[in-house]
Amino acid sequence: MPKALIIDDSSTVRSIISKMLTSWGIASIQACNGQEALQKLSTECDIQLALVDWNMPIMNGLEFVKQVRQESSFKEMRIIMVTTETEMHQVVSALEAGVDEYIMKPFTEEIFKEKLNMVGVIG
Amino acid sequence: MSELDETIKEFLVESLENLEQLDRELLALESDPTKIETINTIFRIVHTVKGTCGFFDFRKLEKVSHVGENLLDSLRSQKIAVTEVIITTLLRLSDTLRELLANIEESGCEGDGDYSELVGLLTSLNEQKITLTSEAISINSKSEGSVDESSVVLLKTQVSEEGQDDELQRMFYAAQSEWQNASSLEAPGAAAVPESSQIGAAENQAPSTVADGSESPKVSESKKSELSESSLRVDVNLLDKLMNLVGELVLARNQILQFTKSQNDGEFASTSQRLNLITSELQEGVMRTRMQPISTVWNKLPRIVRDIAHSCGKKVVLEMQGKETELDKTIIEAIKDPLTHVIRNSVDHGIESPEKRLAAGKGAEGVLVMRAFHEGGQVVIEISDDGAGLNTERIRAKALEKGLITSDKAASMGEAEVNRLIFLPGFSTAEQITNISGRGVGMDVVRSNIERIGGAVDVASNPGKGAKFTIKIPLTLAIIPALIVTTNNNRYAIPQVNLLELVRIEGAQLKQSIERIQGSDFYRLRGKILPLVYLDEQLGLSAANSTKSGGGILNLVVVRADNHQFGLVVDAIHDTEEIVVKPLGRLLKGISAFAGATIMGDGQVALILDIVGMARKAQIAKKEAAAKHEESRSNDEGKTSERKKMFVFELGTNKRAAVPLDQVYRLEEFPVQALESAGDHIVVQYRDGILPLVDLRGIYGEPPEISEGSLRAFVHLSGDRFVGFVVERILDIVEQCVNVERPYPKQGLVGSAVIQDKVTDLLDLSAILQLAELSPKHSFDAREAR
Repeated sequence: MPKALIIDDSSTVRSIISKMLTSWGIASIQACNGQEALQKLSTECDIQLALVDWNMPIMNGLEFVKQVRQESSFKEMRIIMVTTETEMHQVVSALEAGVDEYIMKPFTEEIFKEKLNMVGVIG
Repeated sequence: MSELDETIKEFLVESLENLEQLDRELLALESDPTKIETINTIFRIVHTVKGTCGFFDFRKLEKVSHVGENLLDSLRSQKIAVTEVIITTLLRLSDTLRELLANIEESGCEGDGDYSELVGLLTSLNEQKITLTSEAISINSKSEGSVDESSVVLLKTQVSEEGQDDELQRMFYAAQSEWQNASSLEAPGAAAVPESSQIGAAENQAPSTVADGSESPKVSESKKSELSESSLRVDVNLLDKLMNLVGELVLARNQILQFTKSQNDGEFASTSQRLNLITSELQEGVMRTRMQPISTVWNKLPRIVRDIAHSCGKKVVLEMQGKETELDKTIIEAIKDPLTHVIRNSVDHGIESPEKRLAAGKGAEGVLVMRAFHEGGQVVIEISDDGAGLNTERIRAKALEKGLITSDKAASMGEAEVNRLIFLPGFSTAEQITNISGRGVGMDVVRSNIERIGGAVDVASNPGKGAKFTIKIPLTLAIIPALIVTTNNNRYAIPQVNLLELVRIEGAQLKQSIERIQGSDFYRLRGKILPLVYLDEQLGLSAANSTKSGGGILNLVVVRADNHQFGLVVDAIHDTEEIVVKPLGRLLKGISAFAGATIMGDGQVALILDIVGMARKAQIAKKEAAAKHEESRSNDEGKTSERKKMFVFELGTNKRAAVPLDQVYRLEEFPVQALESAGDHIVVQYRDGILPLVDLRGIYGEPPEISEGSLRAFVHLSGDRFVGFVVERILDIVEQCVNVERPYPKQGLVGSAVIQDKVTDLLDLSAILQLAELSPKHSFDAREAR
């Protein structure tokens, strides 16, 4: 069973995402900022997917992506940016930092599923 | 659908929590407008609300938070400086968001409020057209439902196509000129969409603001996130249910313990003992889950203080100590309003305007200190200000004017007592009615609210230096200690907090000690008049006045309600017990005499008496005032009828006499053999000296021959010498009003009075000493005896 890490400072968003994932048979753990997410990654193994918000306290999503991508052990992990940021240059910088996909809030179940499909987590 | 509801609920809880932080941060920003961390935090809170509400189609919420976010973004990128107007508007934004969330919580939709004014204000505070474009983006993106990177591009072109090229151009240049460091391509985006500017700032301008995690606000947030891992959000209803179940368990435990007493089974006894211990621990544990730090109420106060201080042109600093002090949830809710009112009062009436303060040699800023701490199973909250203090004379005058006290009373009251008058209903000294505390809701509401939860409120004032309000409240309301009493075979519980003392009056004392003034009964407790309330009569269980005749024993529970004390007359007094408070059924709710119900160890229901409600019902205050009035009137009528302690004795058959007790030094009994004579007087050796004896029986003729047995006497100190007065029999010491009459004059007699329903002569001891030629030369020197 695939396992995902949801990183968002809003507990509501975390629970929305977590419920969707559960309904598709994906287990998930949660973190409320980039720093906490890095800690979780260092203790939890076999996380295949990270869904990360951009604007968070302490460590934002972009910084998190940059740090994770520096580690070779997380090379295989798929990262999807889930955010309200809609500017093209933002999408570009996120992709440059190493995210695999980009979802804009608010999203629908269909879009979300499709993106997961595209990164190969479900299909 | 229900899953969505649940998510919405979570959203509401989260957002409301965030908004509370928002208020705090806004106030922090006001005191330090340059702190970029604060602006970042504020931005993120509004941003989160906006980002999340998109999932639920709350358009108004989204719109309002969106324009707010834009303004905050401009603040964050330092395009605009923080001003007071901006803070006030952002506080309004916070209020509006809260209002919308409340509407959603209540009805599931946002309501039909019109927020276009606030939206306009926020927009104009920012740069006008910027909001328009970004708004177009957000609305479009939502209506399309599905957005990915390509649709962003599409939207951008859409915006352009909608003829807003000009706006974009203008914005572009404005942003470029204002923000030199940013690249020209990034600038418009930064203005329109928040996140980019942060990145822009991080990369181009101020890397430190984003990177550093060591600043204090961030540290506290990281602490919070750690906490979130070890703590759970639990439904309050579930906690309430648990509390109820524990209450039931406590009752069942009590029943088992009672049952255990009647059994002779050792094993059973030890098992039930274990059950007892576990239940107590469980009870404590569940109670603790309901405890909340007092900061949940206090956090709202800085905002209130700020608003009031602003509206009356004052400067006030609010300090808080003991924020972590914990209280039961229900109590936290109950003290919310009273606390707010006291705070309002202190800022509005207590703290002076900056000019007055400077004139009085104080700093322009008033200081309001709130302190909370535990003391003796209670929580004490102190609210002190360094303002002008209470104007005691004005309170006295006002109370007189409003007829709350009589002029006699006004004159006799001490300062502290006068200050407490502000808690009386219908009291308000504000000369001009302000919109803050002069709304006819006075401190009496504070008092009644605090007393409803078994607390007390007091005030102390130091003229010119400030005033201090002290509120004492119980830790919990769910399980309380109470005294169990019976009347007419029904059991009632009286909460321990109301209890002062228990008095039992028996037999002859009963008749003497109960007085009837204007149709009501009073008991004189150590000289203080105490109104009596007959419980059975109050509850309509028996006809009025029936208790007084029967039994010959009166059980008094002396209780306190408001600032009054009264004696509650009951048939019998039992134990104190920990009782579980249950709310009354709907039908009984309206009865002021009961505060609730409980189940006793034997499974029977007992009603909990509401002492405050009962005092009101029995019109204690009125009775007390009537009695005091009566008393002072009769005092004025004649000095002779003062209450005095009298020493009563017999000087022969049917010859009663008395002297004031303070003239009696000691009571003695001398054997006849000890009598000796000195000159023509009978004397005894007493305390290494000679004590002359005067036989009082002689004043009504010849004293009887002394032959055998012993003599009873009281020793009197005349000047500095002792004299013994021999009497036939010592009767009693009574305290009552003595009306001296003079049916016939006689030497050695002050007069006669009715004491204990019998005519009693009052002796004039100094006259008698002169008669007996026992003035100083005959009596021995008392100084030697000492």
